Amino acid sequence: MDNEQLLAEIREANLTYLMLAQNLIRKDRAEALFRLGLTEEAADLLGMLSPAQLLKIASSNMLLCRFRVDDDLVWNLLTNHNVKKVDNATTTQLHASILMAGRFADSVAVAH
Amino acid sequence: MATAKSILGESRDIERAVALIQLGARLQVLEYETNLSYERLLRLYKEVAGKSPSKGQLPFSTDWFLTWQPNIHSSLFLNIHEYLSKSSELEEIDAVIKAFRLYSEQMQASQVEPLLSITRAWRLVKFVNSGMLTLTKCSCCGGHFVTEPYENAKNYVCGLCEPPARAGKGSASGGLRLH
Repeated sequence: MDNEQLLAEIREANLTYLMLAQNLIRKDRAEALFRLGLTEEAADLLGMLSPAQLLKIASSNMLLCRFRVDDDLVWNLLTNHNVKKVDNATTTQLHASILMAGRFADSVAVAH
Repeated sequence: MATAKSILGESRDIERAVALIQLGARLQVLEYETNLSYERLLRLYKEVAGKSPSKGQLPFSTDWFLTWQPNIHSSLFLNIHEYLSKSSELEEIDAVIKAFRLYSEQMQASQVEPLLSITRAWRLVKFVNSGMLTLTKCSCCGGHFVTEPYENAKNYVCGLCEPPARAGKGSASGGLRLH
């Protein structure tokens, strides 16, 4: 894959992400904050962007969506690696969901 | 709960009531959360659900939320609820409705039988608000789980880090398994 193609793919991923995020925010803001893990300010900003602005922001050599799992424990649970007592994929996935929802609630509380 | 009797408020109430009935709420929840009269709620219920509401008292005990499997479901719901009510300004019942929808989605995605009903979920939030239940941080994984308020936070370990002996051995399909 040459560089040109890579850049095009990044642009496309960015655009898909931004459009999806915008749809979610316009449909139900509170729900979107949970699904996207964004702050209120970022969500409001994203919701107001025009299509031309979206295109412009998407054309970058950096990906705009960031990895949501920044924690080894959650990552291990999601991938079902390194788990000791419980190794059922569904159960560990639920455990990961509980942790992720909780971590974000924590970080929101700190931000306010 | 709306205070003044206004047409707008009433329309909001009806909208909420319809959402709650569609999610399977008991009539008592509707009576508590809206200003609509019992007769109107009954009619609305029959119109939306196509049948009469089930009778009888609501479950009133906190014990259910503390048993192994329900505890996992309740904790997931409550974490989502906390997230929503911390990140957006929502009226309490709207936060319950949205959190319950997100919880049900997650259950569907992981193909687990949703143990928590909207009535139980609503009840759980009421129990937490009145201090009869609370979220305690697990000292092992750091996740927040539904517990009694006097649980010792220093030594508390959740049911997923240390599953009880009989956990995950039930024969019911759609239940959580350990292995």
